[in-house]
Amino acid sequence: MPLDPAQTSGLKALLPQPCVLVIFGGDGDLSWRKLLPAVYNLNMDGALPSHFAVVCFGIASTEEGRNAADPDEYLRSRARDGIQKFSRQTLVENHWADFSRSLFYVPGSFNDAAAYQKLKSKLAAVDAQFGIPGSRVYYLAVPPQLVDMCVARLRDAHMVSDPAEQNAFTRVIVEKPIGRDLETAREIIHSVDQAFAESQTYRIDHYLGKETVQNLMVLRFANSIFEPLWNQKYIDHVQITVAEEEGVTQYDHKSGEPIASRVGYYEGAGSLRDMVQNHILQVLCTVAMEPPYSLDADVVRDAKVNVLHCLRPMTPDDVRKNVVRGQYIEGDEFGERVPGYRHEVRDFFRRASKPVPPESVNSTTESYVAIRLFVDNWRWSGVPFYIRTGKRMPKRCSEVAIQFREVPQVLFNYQPDVPLEPCVLTIKVQPEEGLSMRIASKLPGPKVRIYPVKMEFNYAAGFGMTSPEAYERLILDVMAGDATLFMRRDAVETAWQWVMPILETWSRERVLNLPEYQCGTWGPVEADRLIHQDGRTWRTL
Amino acid sequence: MSDSAPQMDFFGVPVELRHVEKELTRQILSLRTDDTGPLQKVRMSNLVVYTTSMETARKIAEQAPLVEAAHPARVILLIGDRQAKGDKILAAACARSHPLGRTQQAFWEQVTLYAPGALIERLPFAVRSLIIGDLPINLLWETPTPPPLAGPLLAELSENAQQIIYDSLDWPDPVRGVAATGSWLEQTERTEAGQWRVASDLNWRRLKFWRRLTSQALEPLGETAGQLINEVIVEHGPAAVVQAWLLAAWIARRLGWRPLGGSIQQGVEMAWRCATGKNEATLRVRRLAEGPPEVRVVNLTHHLDGQENWLNLFIESEQRLAIELGSGGFEPRTLTLPALSAAEVVSRQLSDREHDPVFRESMTLAQSLARMVLR
Repeated sequence: MPLDPAQTSGLKALLPQPCVLVIFGGDGDLSWRKLLPAVYNLNMDGALPSHFAVVCFGIASTEEGRNAADPDEYLRSRARDGIQKFSRQTLVENHWADFSRSLFYVPGSFNDAAAYQKLKSKLAAVDAQFGIPGSRVYYLAVPPQLVDMCVARLRDAHMVSDPAEQNAFTRVIVEKPIGRDLETAREIIHSVDQAFAESQTYRIDHYLGKETVQNLMVLRFANSIFEPLWNQKYIDHVQITVAEEEGVTQYDHKSGEPIASRVGYYEGAGSLRDMVQNHILQVLCTVAMEPPYSLDADVVRDAKVNVLHCLRPMTPDDVRKNVVRGQYIEGDEFGERVPGYRHEVRDFFRRASKPVPPESVNSTTESYVAIRLFVDNWRWSGVPFYIRTGKRMPKRCSEVAIQFREVPQVLFNYQPDVPLEPCVLTIKVQPEEGLSMRIASKLPGPKVRIYPVKMEFNYAAGFGMTSPEAYERLILDVMAGDATLFMRRDAVETAWQWVMPILETWSRERVLNLPEYQCGTWGPVEADRLIHQDGRTWRTL
Repeated sequence: MSDSAPQMDFFGVPVELRHVEKELTRQILSLRTDDTGPLQKVRMSNLVVYTTSMETARKIAEQAPLVEAAHPARVILLIGDRQAKGDKILAAACARSHPLGRTQQAFWEQVTLYAPGALIERLPFAVRSLIIGDLPINLLWETPTPPPLAGPLLAELSENAQQIIYDSLDWPDPVRGVAATGSWLEQTERTEAGQWRVASDLNWRRLKFWRRLTSQALEPLGETAGQLINEVIVEHGPAAVVQAWLLAAWIARRLGWRPLGGSIQQGVEMAWRCATGKNEATLRVRRLAEGPPEVRVVNLTHHLDGQENWLNLFIESEQRLAIELGSGGFEPRTLTLPALSAAEVVSRQLSDREHDPVFRESMTLAQSLARMVLR
């Protein structure tokens, strides 16, 4: 594959190859908020090959789209709206005029063989117009239950090339969630397998595309000071937090009326499936993995999956001791009252004029989960990893915090007037990307007084530019054929294997009410107890 | 306070609470004169200030740059207006720039929130979203209500605070306030494993030089000072009764006295009988009819070699504390009393996070004294 001649660092940098990006569900929410703005930004940055176009496919999600006389124009106006609202770079008219000419829309049902023929013809026309050699990246931005149908239709329509084909390649991007348990994950993996080889399949976890998550590897393996300390001898514990301020329903701040809801997806799924099984475990792998012997995609992915193999399995008793789930109740978000989870679920069905399913009447879907887990290998023996994720937390904040062991209780740590606060290295994933190191320092003055100081590196401030969105990097990687930041099937399955005992224990327990926490707080008191019993505390974020 | 909504633009740019961080970033970027180097936000801690008075809030806002100069912090100024009506928390954001050397700039941030009526209870939620992680959190309780009598709001605002700073100077009911504070200190400073918290009274900090000079004055009397002294009188200007009380309690503790009973003459004097070991002694806190709100005189009467003598500690001039001995046996000793502004007192306390066992013990004794006069 061609290497970027501009790269002189010695790092592997593959060039994106000419292709058509085909987005299934192309005018849907993900496409509107993330994918189309990401492609626009890549275009603005000159990162796309000159032979490139985007074709969106699916039944329009809006009335306007379904009745549009010119589908391409409809998509362009939808894309423009998304870019204006969500793009990290502002819309520049002359760029937009150029970019919009490469946007196309093919309306059609995913289950309609004729629609695929229409799509095929359109792709051929686009190939001819843009000088593309027939290469395709299919982005399946569709619910998991439609994946099987889409790939089967693509295969039947002979729209998937041979895996060995380099010139007119075909690749597929599969969005999360990949299943709702091990069995359904295997079903999805199997259905994709029927049409695409593993080398053509890119299971996306956008967390892995974030600069700071990628920087974790650089931090560990390109700096001589960290890796020698990166083990049980020096690290007391690790905390991984993914906190969201949003709940499952979003409200208009002026009218208080619901404007969007994820209840349909989230209810019955919960934060363990939504966040832990994929994002958090993938980030944990990057934190805990052994140094890979090369940057080759499979070597890095082997190193990561080995961490998953080392996760200590949980018995039902372990689940009770090490896992806390919770559900938000009415509370506050930015000074405004917001309802509890159960209320939002019932309200969702009421507004949709549907009966509330029996299991959702008093839902026990968790909107928060905290877990104490262990990676049973030489490096991490005895080091607890505390992970927590929740909705309706006080702020949106994702980070990995490595807390180092205390210094010996001599000198400054011998009966100190103020307990010495341990050194913490924090890798911030969002909203700001960067890292910080908290160390102890002497306060200026004649008396020896120790005070924690924070050294911070912020990507935007440090490099004077905003980091590319995760989707930008990941789409580019697929176009370049670099699978390093994508989940291999064994990683998906192993992550599910570890999560399953928790889901099974919960399913058996059939609790009627989960521990509660108010919207705008950091989770249920039970989660505090989980960490306090180890003499530790959750970080204040 | 007032019926109408306050002018938040005094405190910064009025903004929706959810957009505070964006607004701070916008202001910082607009204040930047050189965008080639890294952007430096200077902050050692979070300083959450709660007040119920708009006048106090304005004073704090004016003093904030002085506090930041000595102890850079993100200031989160909360104004709770129980009497006001309103349906939303108002916010204002303010970023400040200060030169660092010739070319660099440092940026400090202040957020002000105004909560009318019942919305005060929602302030803790708002604070959680504004705290900067990994930095110590200080809560400055700037209201005349003593912390132990403040109810759940203070507990919620201080949930992750490492230091709660209050000022007992203006407590309207000093006896009740002091009576409750000793136990409150003990409860407040008792935390979960891995956590740590200290409570500090700015009034105690103001007594630092009084305590230093008193110690020097007692030195010649040696170990037996507690036996030799038979009366201690602490005189104070109006509104400084708690300050005087704290000093009296500290002296009694220093002398090893054990209070036996007390009496109160409202607005004039409080007096306690104390056991000194073999004898009894008297401890008095006496209010002067006028004068600034501070301790003015400490008088110690003692018996030495069969003769009664006295020792006066007093404010000789604006910035000088002096000792005068009744027998005239030695040259008066003096000590410079640095003039500290309110901002300096606060900024010094922010960096001073040590547990102070002497303060704790003095407060415990002060609490016993308070309970005796409450009976």
